[in-house]
Amino acid sequence: MTHAVLCEGLWKTYQRHRPVGVKSLLLGAGPPVDTRFAREWALAEVGFQVPCGRSFGVIGANGSGKTTLLSILLGTVQEDRGRVGLNGNVASLLELGAGFHGDLTGRENVFLYGSILGMRLAEIRRRFEDIAGYSELEGAMDQPLRTYSAGMIARLGFSTIIHSAADILLIDEVLAVGDARFQVKCHQALHDFRKRGGTLVIVSHNMKEVSEVCDEGICLDLGRVVDSGPMPAVAARYQERMTVAGPAKGGARAAR
Amino acid sequence: MTRDSTASLSAGRSLPQLAELLYVLVRKELKARYKNRFLGYLWALANPFAFAFVYWIAFKFIMRLEIENYSLFLITGMFPWVWMSVGVTGATRSFVINASLIRKVNLPRAILPLGNVTQEMVHFGFALPVIMAFLWFAGEIRPMPSWLWQMPALIALQVAFVYPMALALALANAYVRDIEYLVGIGFSLLFFATPMVYPITLVPEAYRHWFELNPLHALMQSWRSVFLQGTLDFNHVVHAIAFAVLTGIIAWWLHRKLAPRIGELV
Repeated sequence: MTHAVLCEGLWKTYQRHRPVGVKSLLLGAGPPVDTRFAREWALAEVGFQVPCGRSFGVIGANGSGKTTLLSILLGTVQEDRGRVGLNGNVASLLELGAGFHGDLTGRENVFLYGSILGMRLAEIRRRFEDIAGYSELEGAMDQPLRTYSAGMIARLGFSTIIHSAADILLIDEVLAVGDARFQVKCHQALHDFRKRGGTLVIVSHNMKEVSEVCDEGICLDLGRVVDSGPMPAVAARYQERMTVAGPAKGGARAAR
Repeated sequence: MTRDSTASLSAGRSLPQLAELLYVLVRKELKARYKNRFLGYLWALANPFAFAFVYWIAFKFIMRLEIENYSLFLITGMFPWVWMSVGVTGATRSFVINASLIRKVNLPRAILPLGNVTQEMVHFGFALPVIMAFLWFAGEIRPMPSWLWQMPALIALQVAFVYPMALALALANAYVRDIEYLVGIGFSLLFFATPMVYPITLVPEAYRHWFELNPLHALMQSWRSVFLQGTLDFNHVVHAIAFAVLTGIIAWWLHRKLAPRIGELV
């Protein structure tokens, strides 16, 4: 077992399937879309490997395919071509509060989210004190989640996920909302997670953060890997390009 | 190295994990719905009773139909019907409503419509004692020992009957959003075609065999005969099982074809 995440020749386009209404079914959908020469690839020929226990960063302009890539790794979006291999359980922190319910209390949400992440109820019960303690939200655990701030929700989500049995964590820019002290705590936890053999894939626009957390990474532009290597170098080159030339023309077209 | 797609039926989870996930999801919906409601789950009883009352007034008093034990006939059909129609209508929207669960976490998608069906099953379970009390006081029908096996069997049959329908419609609705409206209209029509407010014997004999082909009739008639006579018609049960198996195969096939793309459609 060498690699936790392996991607080979991933291709993805969003053009071919769209929700259709009865009107278009009855009246015909117009000329069929020619997909053979579709240029608008959300991802094109993306490939990389992440060894176990390492941390991998994905950077790039808005709409360059970062979230699509994480969604494919998670399995919520299916690739058109290519191969994805994962070694271990995946858990995602792609959206703040995905899986949470505003009317339930913090405590109930920990059980809900833990279950969604694949934890058994007995396991959540056993670790509940740790989760609540880590989030430092003990005082708010019996309040409905809608009374929480974004930062508090991020704390609760992160505390739950870091106590789950995931081997691979996918994180999309959601740690930025915690306060400075909690961010330090997050980074320490992610460091410990990797010490235990866990693997991280992180999407971020914070170049300082990814350079510190990630060993290696790629830079995406219009769905293609335009740069790869040690993360600090990739981030520095990306920043240079962004400040000198501005984002690539039409960089937000494939946004999703 | 493999990856368990959320479009597979289990998404790589064990049966106990799936059962707990279903439990947590259903509990979430029920808790969220009844929080801050003074009368709590009694609201789940209000709708079927109100409907039954309206039809009782309309048919018994205004149209003066001579139907024996009409109130019992209405009540015993209304609750299983509401379980099915509310469950399926909710399930049809379940992928669209839970878009963040579909797109941002690796949850086995097929569990969401099952959650709606289970949630309405719980409501039906809450209503059972009330239905039994009603049968006792209004119709002098005492609880029967045969209910001990007939009711669990019928509940299981109804889940097997309703879930494939719910899953297939939820999948289709992610592609064609008009389906959620069609489902609402469909159940309104079927309510009178099944029939729920008059016995099938009132249908002219020339057309009756068409009405009897309806698998919903077989299921609803089974509930009535269990509640009122404590008997189960073998033909009705086989009819309902056949429908469950057929829709089960269709739903399984649709799930295989349509589920992978759901993540980018909702």
